[in-house]
Amino acid sequence: MNKIITLIAILFLTGCSIGGEKKIKIFSMEEPRAKLNLAAPTPVEMEKIRWIIITSANSQEVFAKLEAEGIDPVLFGLTDKDYEIIAKNFAQIRSKLKESTEILNKYKEYYEADQQQPKNEEKK
Amino acid sequence: MIFGQIRMIITVLLLAGIGGAGIYVMKLRSDNAILKANQLKLEQSVESQKKLIEQQKKDFDDILKANKQLNVLVEGLKKDFNDLDQRFNKGGRDLGKVAIERTGAIERIVNKATEKAARCIELASGAPHTEEELKATKKSEINTECPSIANPNFVPYE
Repeated sequence: MNKIITLIAILFLTGCSIGGEKKIKIFSMEEPRAKLNLAAPTPVEMEKIRWIIITSANSQEVFAKLEAEGIDPVLFGLTDKDYEIIAKNFAQIRSKLKESTEILNKYKEYYEADQQQPKNEEKK
Repeated sequence: MIFGQIRMIITVLLLAGIGGAGIYVMKLRSDNAILKANQLKLEQSVESQKKLIEQQKKDFDDILKANKQLNVLVEGLKKDFNDLDQRFNKGGRDLGKVAIERTGAIERIVNKATEKAARCIELASGAPHTEEELKATKKSEINTECPSIANPNFVPYE
């Protein structure tokens, strides 16, 4: 009887170690860098502006019309040459904007081609 | 006695030979297994190298394509800018004088052009094209301020 009790006690004490200690395996896995995935900037929405051309001949009429429309009779002026310059300046700004947007898109296409890109839906 | 010793030596040699042959065969089998494993690894390596070369080729093509597309875009933008510059001074035109002579008409033209230019900025900042902009192929249909941005399907003609 004592032998059986001793055997059971030994089994209880050593039971968990049957099969030996499991060896801890240490391995390294390459985890790809998280995608930046910044949201694309919202396109600008331009407000409509109105140019008024004033000459020495129509200035009275223009100011009278402004007053009739309830608009302050004051205008911020540009000469014809300055108008040309401002038009060209804006053309340069939009060129650079377009270029930068395109470069950004190309980078995104190149480095994140494996990810599905939500395409901008065309306006109806 | 001597024959007994010789027989013993021969037996030992024979056993040693058989043992040696056995070990040699085992070594050969082990070598064979290693060589097979090596060949498998080499084949895998060649395969992965092929894939790498294909990927590099694809990357190179993509880079060339992107550069080409950007160059086309930059050329288009330059042309748009030059067209604007020429429009103001076409045939020795003086915008100021024309505006004095035809104030109302020039005011309408300037306002229309400003509207188009504003649309160009919207598109340049990433706004989607309208169907009309995409379909435009004639001069009368395009955004004359920036056809290279607004009308991707328009091919300039004289």
